[in-house]
Amino acid sequence: MANNATQQPDQGDAGAAAGMTGAISSGTNDSFSGEYAIEIVNLVKRFRNLITREWVTAVNDISLEVKQGEIFGFLGPNGAGKTTTIKALLGLIFPDAGTVKVLGRAPGDNDVKYQISYLPESPYFYEHMSAKEVISFYASLFGMTGADREKRVDYLIDLVGLKSAGNKPLRAFSKGMLQRVGIAQSLVNDPKVLFFDEPTSGLDPIAHRDIRDLILHLKNEGRTLFLSSHQLSDVEEVCDRVSILYRGKIRKIGRVDDLIAGGKVEIIADNLKLDEKTTAAFKAKADEVEQIGSRVHITGGADNASKQAILDIIRAAKADIVSVTPTRRTLEDIFIETVRGGEEEAGEALHLDAAAGS
Amino acid sequence: MSTIWTLASGTFGEAMRRKILNVFLFVAIAMIVLFFAFASFSPTSDMIITMATGLGIISMAGVFISVILGINLIPNEIDKRTIYTILSKPVKRHEFLIGKFLGGLATVFVNILLMGVLFVIGVALFKDPHHHIRLDILEGVLMIFFQLMLVNALAVMFSVFTSPFVNFFLTFAVYIMGSMSSITEALGGESANGKRSAVIQGIFKAIHFLVPNFGNFNVQNPIIHPDVVIQNMAKYIATNILYAIIYSLIMLLIAILVFDRREV
Repeated sequence: MANNATQQPDQGDAGAAAGMTGAISSGTNDSFSGEYAIEIVNLVKRFRNLITREWVTAVNDISLEVKQGEIFGFLGPNGAGKTTTIKALLGLIFPDAGTVKVLGRAPGDNDVKYQISYLPESPYFYEHMSAKEVISFYASLFGMTGADREKRVDYLIDLVGLKSAGNKPLRAFSKGMLQRVGIAQSLVNDPKVLFFDEPTSGLDPIAHRDIRDLILHLKNEGRTLFLSSHQLSDVEEVCDRVSILYRGKIRKIGRVDDLIAGGKVEIIADNLKLDEKTTAAFKAKADEVEQIGSRVHITGGADNASKQAILDIIRAAKADIVSVTPTRRTLEDIFIETVRGGEEEAGEALHLDAAAGS
Repeated sequence: MSTIWTLASGTFGEAMRRKILNVFLFVAIAMIVLFFAFASFSPTSDMIITMATGLGIISMAGVFISVILGINLIPNEIDKRTIYTILSKPVKRHEFLIGKFLGGLATVFVNILLMGVLFVIGVALFKDPHHHIRLDILEGVLMIFFQLMLVNALAVMFSVFTSPFVNFFLTFAVYIMGSMSSITEALGGESANGKRSAVIQGIFKAIHFLVPNFGNFNVQNPIIHPDVVIQNMAKYIATNILYAIIYSLIMLLIAILVFDRREV
C-alpha cells in the first residue's frame, strides 16, 4: 500500500502546542502540479423526498475552482447545499450532473485520499477510545505503523493541546476537546487539501481562537483549505476568496477584498441648515441624510466623485465639515445582502416590520 | 488487509461496550448459572434436558446479539457520521464493509465463547459424573457460532438498503423461516394425498433453496432433532461450516455491490 503521508520534521515544534501553531509537516507532500486543487463544473445534485416523492435540488448547476494554496470560504445559510457539495467532493455522494475533481482526479480516488482530509461538523469518534487511540486508528488507515505512527500521534496530540488528556476516553471529552481531536485526525496524513465543515461551531472563545490560528498557520504553510463556516469574521480574516451559496446556487463569488470594497463614507457637518435647496442637493448625491442634534450626518458612496459632490454641497451651504469617515462593509453585510436578495427573488423574505404591524 | 484489520478492531472495541449487547450476554450467563443452581437440586436430571437448555440459551442470546449488532453496524456509522472521516481516508468501500462485518463477527465469537465456556464448565462440574469436558457440547457451540455468522451476514446485507427497524424484522423472519428448513423442504415436495398445488410447492421449494438452512446448525440440540443420527459428525460439521462461509460470502458480495453505489 502506498503511503504518501509524511512525518513532522521536528518534535521541537510541539512546544507551541496550546495555540495549535506548530509546524504540521515538512510540506513535501507534492505530486500534483495543476493550477487548481478543486474543480467543480456544473454540479447538480438532487434528492428525493421519501414522503412527498418530490425531487429537491440541493445543488443547482454550480461551478467554481480553488487554486492550490488558496483558502476558500464556502458560505451560505443552513440548507444552502454546502455540505452536499463537500460530500460530492469527497466521493461520499455522486453528482446527478456535472463533474468534480480534487487534485485533478475524480473524488473517491484512493491516491487523492492520501492527500486530502475532512473535518465534519460536530465530529463523532469511537467513544471507547482515547484521543491517542483515535488518532492512531486514523493513522493506521494511512498505513502508518510502529514508531512512526506513535511519533506522529504524540506530535498531533501535543499540537492540538490535548497532551494531558490524550489517554482519557473520548466519552469524557467536551465538544471543544472533540473538535481538537477532529483537527488532529484531519492532519494525520499531512494533507495538501483540507475540507473543514464548521470547524469552530459551538466552541468557547479560546478553542475558537486556537482553531482560527491553526487555519492561518495552514494557510502560511501553503495548504489548500475549503472552509465552510458561519463565523463570517473568521472567514473574512483567513480566506482569500469566498462564494455565497443560496438554495443550491452560487449568488456571489470573488476575492474577499473585492467583495468588501466599495463601501460608504459618512460625513458629519456642523452649522448646516437643511433648507429645501440643500435637501434637494443631498437627495441627488447622497444615500442618507440625518439630523442628529446640532449636526447633520450624511452617508454616500466612498468613491471620490460622490464624496466630493457631498463636500461641495456642505461648502456651498457655508457649513463646517467635522469629519469624513469611510464606513467599511463587512463580509457579514455582503452575506446578508446576498441572502436577502435570494430570499426576495424566491419571495421568502421575512418582513418583521409587516409582521409587527399585523 | 491492514485497513480491514484496523476497522474490524475498532468495530470490535465499540461493539463489546454496547450496553444492549452486554445485557443479552449477562441475562444468558445468569440463566445458565441459575439452570445449574436449580439442577443441583435434582442431580439425576437428564443430560438431554441440560444440553437442550444450555445450547438453547446460547443460541437465543446469540441470535439477539447478532441481529441487533448486524442491523446497526453500518447505519450507526452513518448516523454518527464516523463514516465520513473513515471513507474520506484511503479506505475502499468494500474494505469498510468487510472490516465492519469481521469486527461484528469477532464480537459474536467472544460472546458465544464466554457463554459456551461457562456452560461446558458447568456441565463438567455439575452434570458429568466423570467431570469431563464434553466435546459434543463444544461442537454444538461451534455450530451455533457459524449459524450466527450467517445471521450477521444477512443483517449486514439488509442494512445497506433498509432501515434498522425494517431490518430487525426482516432478519428475524428469515432466521425463523430458515430454522424451519425441514418444514419448507417437506412443503416443497409432493404431499401424501397429492392435493398440494404446483405453485405452492414451487414457492416452498424456492424458500427452501434461497433461505439459509439454519436448522442444520441445531443438530447437537437433542430436543430440536431427537431422531437425527449422523454417521460422520466431523464431515457433517465441516460441510455446514463450509455452507455458512459460502452463504455469508454471497451475502457480503451483494452488500458490497449495493454499498459501492450507495450515497452516505
